[in-house]
Amino acid sequence: MTLEQLLAETQPALLQIKQQDLADISAAKDWQSKYRVLMQLGKKLPPVPEKMKQPHLLVKGCESRAWLMHYHDKAQDKHFFVLDSEARIVKGLMAIMLCLVNGMTSAELAKFDLCHKFDQLNLKPYLSQSRGNGLTAMAERIKACCPAK
Amino acid sequence: MPAFDVQQFRQQFAFFQQQPDWVYLDNAATMHKPQAVIDAVTQFYQRHNSNVHRGAHQLSQQATMLFEQARTSVAAYVNAAHSDEIIFTSGATAALNQIAFGLMHTVLKPGDRILLTQLEHHANIVPWQLHCQRHGVIIDVVPLTPQHTVDLVAYQKLLALKPKVVSFSHISNVLGHIQPVAQMVAQAKAAGAITMIDGAQGAVYQQPDVQQLDCDFYVFSGHKLYGPTGIGVLYGKTQWLEQLTPVFAGGEMIDTVSFVNTTFNKLPFRLEAGTPNIAGAIGLSAAISWLQKYNTEQIQQHKSLLLKEFYSGLQAIKAIDILSMPVHNAGIVALNVAGEHPADVAELLNQQQVAVRSGQHCAMPLFSYLAQQGAVRCSFAAYNTLDDVNRCLLALEQAVEILTA
Ligand SMILES: Cc1ncc(COP(=O)(O)O)c(C=O)c1O
Repeated sequence: MTLEQLLAETQPALLQIKQQDLADISAAKDWQSKYRVLMQLGKKLPPVPEKMKQPHLLVKGCESRAWLMHYHDKAQDKHFFVLDSEARIVKGLMAIMLCLVNGMTSAELAKFDLCHKFDQLNLKPYLSQSRGNGLTAMAERIKACCPAK
Repeated sequence: MPAFDVQQFRQQFAFFQQQPDWVYLDNAATMHKPQAVIDAVTQFYQRHNSNVHRGAHQLSQQATMLFEQARTSVAAYVNAAHSDEIIFTSGATAALNQIAFGLMHTVLKPGDRILLTQLEHHANIVPWQLHCQRHGVIIDVVPLTPQHTVDLVAYQKLLALKPKVVSFSHISNVLGHIQPVAQMVAQAKAAGAITMIDGAQGAVYQQPDVQQLDCDFYVFSGHKLYGPTGIGVLYGKTQWLEQLTPVFAGGEMIDTVSFVNTTFNKLPFRLEAGTPNIAGAIGLSAAISWLQKYNTEQIQQHKSLLLKEFYSGLQAIKAIDILSMPVHNAGIVALNVAGEHPADVAELLNQQQVAVRSGQHCAMPLFSYLAQQGAVRCSFAAYNTLDDVNRCLLALEQAVEILTA
């Protein structure tokens, strides 16, 4: 498995999440349904093979371990990420984050405001716990992949 | 003495009136404070606030008296031979660091050994490790039995290596298992070791009798004993406290200073640099006096009942792996939902307003030994009720249902 192959599997999953699941989460009547969808999201992303989970890809600041891989299409200046997490709820939340950032240009990524976006999606409550679940740490790591100007 | 009335006990915690919807089962992390403690701290600031040991004025003398009374009450709680053997610190971690650092500079020599156990909290591992590397001291570790208690046969064998210091916890903060500390101290003493007990979880379960245990050090934190945060206790036998090099210097701990030489004040002040946590000490003393109005045995019985109900409820939920034993357990249950990450379980409990902790609970060596990525920890206190137990069980059932759907 290569990063390119993982990306090829990730992108259609993200598209589906964007077109369908985000709406399902907003429409969920109770927290149980919300969490069920959230955990399904994580499952849609391809798992990163154990061999590829190198220590330098580990994102610190998460209670559960999470890994981030980055691909920069320099010709078009587009950033793509693949990630995995041991915990399912966190992986679901990270999948939503990926939907928002994958394909961004360097300038867009630099401006990306996770807090604002999650607020718009009514997902802000999940961010309040993010110091524990590592969502903020992941967002910072993603933004740090922007090439320095 | 009348029977233990959990509702009467619980009513003294304003927290539960403010947060009636929460089931609080994170008591091993920190406990709630009864009104008696909150009042003692408030009254100190409102009526007596002054610095201690240094005032020319009466207010300072009063504050000093209250602070020293707090020391006496802690000394009585642990049955220290003398109140000078009670050093106030900021917590168990600070006390452990003071002991490790202090002994390392005086008592321990390169090639000496320290004996710890596999289930220690990082606060009873890392301070030793920090100094061991620099001073050429060797750490040995007592393994566990299949029931996850300290292996006493292996312990006896490791004592034959003649460790200078043996340091272990009274109660495991992850599993809740009560260690046979009296026996462990006696065996360590017979092997000629200095003994240190980490009572962070122990001091609230059982009033420690340091003279009967005959341990050289016993440490704990106020906030896990119904007291304020930022206050802790380092009990040590005078003989060993005198051997400790202070970690911090400055303030009342000093006798005379010149740029050539400094001489130190006597115990306990020698180990209390700077302005101490006066309100914290007074709050801790209030917690102790308050707690002593209740019968420890009755409280233990109440907690045993909660545990029994919890264990029997857990049997009925599928896919639960329990890491803690129900016997010799102080009220902590570590568990996992088979195949699921503890963070997911804890988050689903959080959604149902059941507060537990998940992760490795500052005891990574224990988890690598158990070959688990972590655990959900439900820790009970005397103010928890059968209703709390049932709500936690229902929440767990719901979590399992969502996770395994
Ligand atoms: C067994 C044990 N030792 C030491 C500590 C450290 O206590 P504190 O954080 O209050 O210094 C704890 C608390 O988490 C503990 O449970």
